Amino acid sequence: MENSLFSKPRELFLDIVNPRDYVQIDSVSHMYQSLKSSVQKPLKMILLYGRPGTGKSMLLHKLHHDLSKHQKVHMISTPIIDEEDFLRVLAQNIFGHAPRETMTLTRFLEISSALSMNPIPIVLLDEAQLYSSALMEKIRLISDARSIKFVITLHKTDKEDIIAKEHFQTRIWESVELQNATAEELKIYVQKKLLKANCFDVANMFNDKNMKLVASLTNGNYRETNKLLFSLFSLYCWYEENNPNLIKYNSIKSKWIEMAAIHTGLIHA
Amino acid sequence: MLDIKKLERRWLKYKIKSFAPYFMVFFLLLLVLSGVSWWFKSQISTQTSITKVPMTSTLKAVSDKSLPLTIDENTTILEPSMDFIQSFQDAPVPNEIQTSPTSIKKIPTPQLPPIPKNLKIPEYSPSQTVPVASRLLGDDKSLSIKRDDTKLDINELQRRFKETSNANLALFISRYYYDHGDYNEAYNYALKTNNLNNRIDESWILFSKSLVKLGKTDQAKKTLQLYISQSNSDAAKNLLDNIERGNFK
Repeated sequence: MENSLFSKPRELFLDIVNPRDYVQIDSVSHMYQSLKSSVQKPLKMILLYGRPGTGKSMLLHKLHHDLSKHQKVHMISTPIIDEEDFLRVLAQNIFGHAPRETMTLTRFLEISSALSMNPIPIVLLDEAQLYSSALMEKIRLISDARSIKFVITLHKTDKEDIIAKEHFQTRIWESVELQNATAEELKIYVQKKLLKANCFDVANMFNDKNMKLVASLTNGNYRETNKLLFSLFSLYCWYEENNPNLIKYNSIKSKWIEMAAIHTGLIHA
Repeated sequence: MLDIKKLERRWLKYKIKSFAPYFMVFFLLLLVLSGVSWWFKSQISTQTSITKVPMTSTLKAVSDKSLPLTIDENTTILEPSMDFIQSFQDAPVPNEIQTSPTSIKKIPTPQLPPIPKNLKIPEYSPSQTVPVASRLLGDDKSLSIKRDDTKLDINELQRRFKETSNANLALFISRYYYDHGDYNEAYNYALKTNNLNNRIDESWILFSKSLVKLGKTDQAKKTLQLYISQSNSDAAKNLLDNIERGNFK
């Protein structure tokens, strides 16, 4: 099983955010450069938003990975709901100060003004929609004090337009929207990911028809694509072990893509 | 762990589901097309039936038209009242009347087989009822009835002659008036007959006899001589001899 042709590609599409697995696609690369240049500007807050699975977290991790080489950057992947914990984590990781007393906003601003840094440290907040309004108000006050620059990611949903929220509407100076990939972009994404891992044979199995089907099933969503391809390669692994005669090594079977989509819930059968 | 067998079954279901609308559309289209073709066929069949009906109807109409024609001919030709008139008369008159229907009877027999049916039409029963009535009443009474009919018939015949200008009819009327002593009318109708057909012996003889009766013996002789010179008629010669000898006055 370990020597299977399809086991390695399957592991590649596990839904894990790792900046090393970042695949450079033209449109995303453009977004990333735009985000990077925004970070260099004297902005208080930068918003990165888009539908779930459009690559916000990956982009944020990539930004953290790249910026951490040059300046103080702290990434909070999992939201810290408690206000004191949030301020304490920031004080410790940004300014290296861990006070024994209770951490309040006033105390945090005193620390940040006392230990002001140049360039201004950056804090990356993923899944910011999970933060409470009260905490978001505190974050706004911290950014207004120019002690920390925040880059936050938000889900864009149909029910709630988060950009319209008051505390973002007035203070966000720059926003970047991420969108789903097209069929061509998705093909580049899949093939680059496979080629990066030296899975040349499997990369060559994907043709335009396969990728159109994948894109139509996932709507170009990267997370859904990862899930679908993980299931697809799991199917290939099974057939390779149990019925290898059915495998065609020159193309991916549409039937098996649809079976993988049924398994992942993309097709309701 | 993947359950491949179950997954394949679910995939098969999904494919059937996804193709079902196309099959439905296809079958609906097929149904509509077959319905439309059936409708067209039915339309065509009704049109043919419609076109066929007039043909038969026209045939019937033609045959129907043939009926009144034959009836008219029969009525004009059979002339039952004329038989009664002929029964009063001696001479060869009845022979001529009988000849006309036989000649007409020959016409329909080859082409129109339904003629016997036409003959059965009860419209002619009044003429047949006369003999039935005569049988019931006896021969003497039937004679009186016949006389009444002839009075009616001579007017009818005169009216009909005005419509048809038939030479035979004019000859018959002339004969009738001559027999009844109305020589002036007999002369007139004989003259009309000669104008219509100048080859009828009897017409010239009646014309000459009427002239003699009207006191115009010389004119009668000249007429007969002229006619004999053209036709060489024996009857005309005999009459001329009788007039000259004084046997006919």
